[in-house]
Amino acid sequence: MTDKEPKQVTRREFVTSVGGVGVGAVLGGLFLRGFLLPDQVLAIPASKGYLLIDTKKCAGCESCMLACSMVHEGASNISLSRIQITQNPFGKFPDDITQSQCRQCPYPACVKACPTGALHADDQNGGVRTVDPAKCIGCERCIEACPFTPSRSLWNFEDGHAQKCDLCASATFMGEKGGPGGMQACVAICPMKAIKFTTEIPVQKDSGYAANLRNEHWGNLGYPTD
Amino acid sequence: MGRRLLIGAGIAAAFVLGMVYAWRIAFVDGTELLFNSGWWLVLLAPFAGALAAGLTRRKDPVIDGDRVLRHDGAAILEHWTHGIGTAVLIVTGLALGALFIPSFLAKQQVWAAMNVHYVAVVMFLFGTFYYGVNTLLSWQRFREHLPTANAIKFTVQHYGRLLGNKKYDMPPEDKYFESEKMAYLLALVATATIIITGLLKAAAHVVSIPGAVMGAATLVHDIATLGMLAFFLAHVLFAAILPMGWPMLRSMFTGYVSVEHAKAEHAGWYRRLVKPAVVPSEPKKDRNAA
Repeated sequence: MTDKEPKQVTRREFVTSVGGVGVGAVLGGLFLRGFLLPDQVLAIPASKGYLLIDTKKCAGCESCMLACSMVHEGASNISLSRIQITQNPFGKFPDDITQSQCRQCPYPACVKACPTGALHADDQNGGVRTVDPAKCIGCERCIEACPFTPSRSLWNFEDGHAQKCDLCASATFMGEKGGPGGMQACVAICPMKAIKFTTEIPVQKDSGYAANLRNEHWGNLGYPTD
Repeated sequence: MGRRLLIGAGIAAAFVLGMVYAWRIAFVDGTELLFNSGWWLVLLAPFAGALAAGLTRRKDPVIDGDRVLRHDGAAILEHWTHGIGTAVLIVTGLALGALFIPSFLAKQQVWAAMNVHYVAVVMFLFGTFYYGVNTLLSWQRFREHLPTANAIKFTVQHYGRLLGNKKYDMPPEDKYFESEKMAYLLALVATATIIITGLLKAAAHVVSIPGAVMGAATLVHDIATLGMLAFFLAHVLFAAILPMGWPMLRSMFTGYVSVEHAKAEHAGWYRRLVKPAVVPSEPKKDRNAA
């Protein structure tokens, strides 16, 4: 009696099996996912912090812009600032100065538009909407998607990626902890105390948040407080 | 031939319809990014390529009257799926922005281009894995692509002759020119790099991947794309634009070149086909090879 030689698997049989099992696993996984698992609702968590700016207090000094670029980029360059202050020399108070800060939208069009997940709600920093530069491919979809003008998502022309206000969560040159619950450079630097951090979702208006940061001392100087 | 036409027409129709759908769903509807919703097809394509290769029985080159079978059906399928996939990937990839040069596209075009990129990824992965597994099954086809010790000598002779220098004779090139074999190495490295980094980029639509990994993957993907672009442009120039490549281009549809062409351009290969036994470098017959 002779021992029967065990049948060896040929290379062709092996790769055919791998291909077949792979195709079966992917299609089977899809079937299970589609029919056996409940539908998921993907919601973007709300930000735990917002910047309020009192348009009637802002003097347009642009200190916030310089501070923003300094703490984020290590350079005082208003073109790299994530908060933008624009002045209209023909405008009348309080419409002569416009402050454009990110509103950390509850339904952020920029996050939805980003094709790579670079613009995301940062779970580690209270859900603040921010850009991971390493994931940004520079398509500028977020800039176009932002419903506000000027876009609150901006192009960093030096490093070639999108950027936006992250409430100083990634302010590596600040020396203080930023983000919700931390410090914000623009809030700290504003000489008019026209910028405030809040954890409450502010009242939204097309022109910006309805924010009144003026107190009686402001009134004592003869300025309007209402 | 009829079967080949049917398969080719089917794949071409699926590819064109896929691209139209991909463009429309993003550019007109503006709602869907296929890398998010159809990630499973990116995963399926390599396995489908492997399965198709396992089920394929290939024909070796053979002299058939006054013509020589150079490309069997599998070679034609893997060439065009890989090649057309590569072409669309390069165009959409460059349009989307390479090496942090911002995108040339606007508004919905970015998603539309990414969706077209997705369709090409599926085609490219199928074709490349079909080729790769076919190669695993018959190593002699891979060896035929690798440069030999004659690489520089033959290339100087070959192109010296083409440029009109009469002191050079046409060298007895094998199935592939030595210059093609050297370029093949570039394509091999670029393709492998693009696939690894590209799969990482595709995976980032489904799972969270650290930014540093994605940044490195994107940079390497872009650099490899430039390598692939260099290969692609040279390949199209020599194989499709210059008349000297037209017999080969025709063969990529019909499978055959003439005996005269094989004798003139690939004397070493023709000699192997006529007298396979006398060639010392001929590898042992792989029992798995079709």
